[in-house]
Amino acid sequence: MTNRYRSVFDIIGPIMIGPSSSHTAGAVAIGHVANRLFHAPIKTVRVRYFESFAQTHRGHGTDYAVIAGVLGFDPADRRVPNAVDLARRQGIEITFIEDQHPSPIGHPNTAAITLENAEKYLTVWGCSVGGGAIEIRKIDFNGLIFEPQGSLPLIYVEAEQEIGQALDQIFGANYRLPRVTLMRGRHHIYQLDLLDKPFPEQLEQARRISQDLISL
Amino acid sequence: MMYETIADLLAAAAAQQQPISELIIEQEIKLSHSSREIIWATMGKNLEVMHEAAIKGASGAGVTSATGISGGEAVLLKKYREKGQSLSGDTMLLAMQNAVATNEVNAAMGIICATPTAGSAGTLPGVLSVVTERLHLQRDDQIRFLFCASAFGMIVANQAMIAGATGGCQAEVGSASAMGAAAAVEVAGGTPEQAAQAFAMAMSNLLGLVCDPVAGLVEVPCIKRNVVGAVNALTAADMALAGLTSQIPADEVILAMKRIGQNLPASLRETGLGGLAATPTGIALKMKIFGQDVSIHPDDENNDSARES
Repeated sequence: MTNRYRSVFDIIGPIMIGPSSSHTAGAVAIGHVANRLFHAPIKTVRVRYFESFAQTHRGHGTDYAVIAGVLGFDPADRRVPNAVDLARRQGIEITFIEDQHPSPIGHPNTAAITLENAEKYLTVWGCSVGGGAIEIRKIDFNGLIFEPQGSLPLIYVEAEQEIGQALDQIFGANYRLPRVTLMRGRHHIYQLDLLDKPFPEQLEQARRISQDLISL
Repeated sequence: MMYETIADLLAAAAAQQQPISELIIEQEIKLSHSSREIIWATMGKNLEVMHEAAIKGASGAGVTSATGISGGEAVLLKKYREKGQSLSGDTMLLAMQNAVATNEVNAAMGIICATPTAGSAGTLPGVLSVVTERLHLQRDDQIRFLFCASAFGMIVANQAMIAGATGGCQAEVGSASAMGAAAAVEVAGGTPEQAAQAFAMAMSNLLGLVCDPVAGLVEVPCIKRNVVGAVNALTAADMALAGLTSQIPADEVILAMKRIGQNLPASLRETGLGGLAATPTGIALKMKIFGQDVSIHPDDENNDSARES
């Protein structure tokens, strides 16, 4: 029992552009995570598919779905089917790769999305577990690697100073797993793996400590 | 904190003397930190999208997918229905029409509500259209139907799976059908126990259904499999309301579905490499749609190593 589905709207929903909840809506959602974590202009996108995604991405519209997510569209956005053209017209270079190896994160619907510009890169390994729900099992922030267990919600916070204990005070009661902290130079990056969606007031409170907070 | 099994749901329904739809609304309020009004309105919006898709697929000439291998058949069912001479009767024809219409809209990249998935999006609308007509359901009852269905669906999703890639079509259309059967029983005034029986019988009857989409597209055979999902749900609901029982409890049926899904070879789990996808015509359609650079190896069906680590 994983309890990865925690809302009735994971089951009845999402409202989406067809044709597949796992290969289209879920792919939009993985792309969206990459978009939110990168939060900077994108020069290139490299999408590596594994297993079922590698075999059927063309038939399921997974290509346009991932790129729609990378552009920040939601799954019911009318522009979803045209996302690849829209992105290329913005000058974004896009490559799709069908990897013949088993998924490195152990799920047949796996995509690894790498976003890059002159300053940095980000790779998100996500899998689409069905009905539009996704899990994020690995993130490479320009060389700093997090391996969350998968289920959302996840929060990433970056700060120059040590704010771990302050974050524990706000979110601690809701931690599914212990907080993870990685450091780049003097920068701290925190991963918070939560049981339930945080309350808006909690996010507001945390953003007063660091604006650089992404809630997935 | 969460209902983890159908037995949990039935125990809570008995203890609190509440319908399953109400139990799940209360769980959603607790887990999502939202109000009942917002949750109710969100489900209402899902209902509207479901109605719109079913209407769109059966209006005018209907819709056609980009590949041209599906579309226009909900309209054929509608015209046939209007003649009033069908073999299975108008009720079943209505379920069939709405199931096909919804999945044709999905295949044509239209807007649908995944219930629980896009590939199985036609099953619940097919069931709901029939119970709405037969029982003269108001909008609020239709929304309750969706909440009740979601309660059962969430247990399947957490205990087993709802993705064709992990469990085959039995996990998608099979789950949708079982959810629809249970919800139909609740809105028809059956007991929570009868809803669980309907769920168990509907899922049992679709165990083993494989996911073998031609060219990897959610078109053939997915669209028409939603017909069997909808019709199977209605028959299971009627069986339960008539007092028939499953013998195997619903929670055990879910775990049987999970084990069968895990034992299906990858070629029959949404890779487009086995079953109907690997027939000569299935392969020819894939070549026609995607050109020459296709890699389909029917041998793969006998050559399935454990691909998931």
